[in-house]
Amino acid sequence: MQNTFATKLQPEPSQSPLPLSPDNASIWHHMSDALHQSLDRVLSLLIAILPGILAFIVALVIFTLIGMALSALLRRGLAMAKFDEHLAHGRGNVNWAPSTSPTALIARVSFWSCVLIGLILGVSAFDASFAAATMLPSSLLPFLTHVVGAAILLIAGTFIARFLARSVLIGAVNEQLQYARFLSLGIKWLVLVLTAAMVLEHLRIGGNIVGLAFGILFGGIVLTLALAVGLGSRDLVSRSLESHTDHSSESSVAPPATRPDDSIQHF
Amino acid sequence: MATAIQNSGATAPSAHPGEALLVLLAAMTPEQLERVIASLTASFPTEELLIASPDATLDAPPADAHPSLRIVAAPIRNSAWTLTAADFVNAYQLAEKHEVRAILLLGAESSSLCSSALYDLAHAVLTTTDLAVPCYDLPPHAGLVNSAILYPLTRALFASRVRFPLAVDLGLSLRMAKCLSDAGQRFIAINQGETPLWPINEATVAGFTIDQFDVGTHVQPAGPDLNTILPLLTGPLFSDIEAKAAFWQRFRQLPPSRNAIPIQQAPPNDLAAKIAPMISAFRLAYTNLYEIWSLVLPPNTLLSLKRLAATDAAAFHITDSLWARIIYDFLLAYRLRTINRGHLLGALIPLYLAWVASHFNIVASGGDPEGHIEAVAAAFETEKTYMVSRWRWPDRFSP
Repeated sequence: MQNTFATKLQPEPSQSPLPLSPDNASIWHHMSDALHQSLDRVLSLLIAILPGILAFIVALVIFTLIGMALSALLRRGLAMAKFDEHLAHGRGNVNWAPSTSPTALIARVSFWSCVLIGLILGVSAFDASFAAATMLPSSLLPFLTHVVGAAILLIAGTFIARFLARSVLIGAVNEQLQYARFLSLGIKWLVLVLTAAMVLEHLRIGGNIVGLAFGILFGGIVLTLALAVGLGSRDLVSRSLESHTDHSSESSVAPPATRPDDSIQHF
Repeated sequence: MATAIQNSGATAPSAHPGEALLVLLAAMTPEQLERVIASLTASFPTEELLIASPDATLDAPPADAHPSLRIVAAPIRNSAWTLTAADFVNAYQLAEKHEVRAILLLGAESSSLCSSALYDLAHAVLTTTDLAVPCYDLPPHAGLVNSAILYPLTRALFASRVRFPLAVDLGLSLRMAKCLSDAGQRFIAINQGETPLWPINEATVAGFTIDQFDVGTHVQPAGPDLNTILPLLTGPLFSDIEAKAAFWQRFRQLPPSRNAIPIQQAPPNDLAAKIAPMISAFRLAYTNLYEIWSLVLPPNTLLSLKRLAATDAAAFHITDSLWARIIYDFLLAYRLRTINRGHLLGALIPLYLAWVASHFNIVASGGDPEGHIEAVAAAFETEKTYMVSRWRWPDRFSP
């Protein structure tokens, strides 16, 4: 392979009309050596970490299979022992939903615990093989843990954003706010932007730019929402201020928009 | 002031063991208390009465006037508008301590009940019945959560014709009180003593006798607003239905129909004015909550809601079967936790308002309100098969 590279990089005498000087030949030689060495390093690194990658995959697959077997075993065993019925009897005859029964929960937890153990083992094996193969002082594991942490942050942030967006949407609709969807979207993007900034910060990508950009964006969204709500409820605020400043005119203050349940006794 | 007043927390045994009836009152003004005591003593001149009131330190009637009456202090109730798990536990503890034969629980506005109503409730549990329930005479714009959800669901699933399943005035036999106290203890154990209990469901499952008595008009105690009250009531009801699924999935014969309750008629114009804001609330919700509803409701129902959102206010009408299916689908989603339960019950509020608008439309056009409520309850019974199918095979059964 080295010969092939050398022959390709060296100019053919028949194709060069001008004779090469000794300096030019030396440069080509050094370049060729440098490329050979880097190619060697990359190939040897790949060969060295290949067992680690294989170990990662094997550990994950084996522990996933173990998890599946354990989960099935637990499901069957707990169903035979009527675990749900015993637990429901102790808690006041609760009828569990199929997807949320204690048996299903235990089986699911055991399966995902096995998968997690396999993942940790695989990463350890991969990290060991990588560290043995390379002369780099830092290990890959800290970065991988950062990536895992960032992924968890991202997932949690997305869930929280969706939950808050729904909460605000339903609450605002039930309060008869016409801009309910806009408010809900604002909350959602606020949390998503916060999550993205936290993820980038966690991965140490972008440095100060992320914080700065986040501050500008976050402040912009808050200002937009404040303006929207403030302008939307301008009349309400002015009426409220009027009623506070002039108690005598309290009776003349127009009532707020009619609510559906004003004079109805629902219960 | 000569009437004996005991602290319920005292450890000394009762000086007068074996009173016939324990009357457990909610907090009320001295005038209201006086009225209730007068009604009770007029109804039971010879019976030994033990009245437990949170206002027991207030001026009580003289013992000379009512020698058979004794007043003791009772714990303050958590909620004025409904009976909670803690109330039933406290009631049974008091009953056990004073060795009474039966309990009469009276709500905050029980002074508006006539003495014959109190007599009926108390006499029933002192003689043959385990659970005596009042049937109030309310105007068409009152008790709507009860008419739309509580009554039809209880009737369809627990085969009971009790018109007000969550009444604040109840008569309980001692074994019924113990049954409710046991149910209440489970909530107190998990620090949820403020959860409403469902006496009709408990009595039906336990096989106890239930009697309903017309008590005439009743002043409704002030409760929280709709956004609070609907999740507070439907959540515990759905949980109770979920817990008793093994019971209600079996077919049960509904007891024969009683005479229709005379509902006070409101002027049609009065109701018509209330319809428009509710329809606009529903339309606003349709444009914003469609995605959430689509997680809970099947396509047929969504299509019906789409048509409904485009309907004029005058023709606005939710069919009884559509309403029954909506409630059943929400109940199923509650069980399966399709979405967060708080979100689910919040998303039900605009649909409930749409039902109320539809009900008011019927009443405003001259329809019989009680007839409509009975028709809704009948639709819930008809659609029970749909509910049972979806309950048993939520993944396989796709409407």
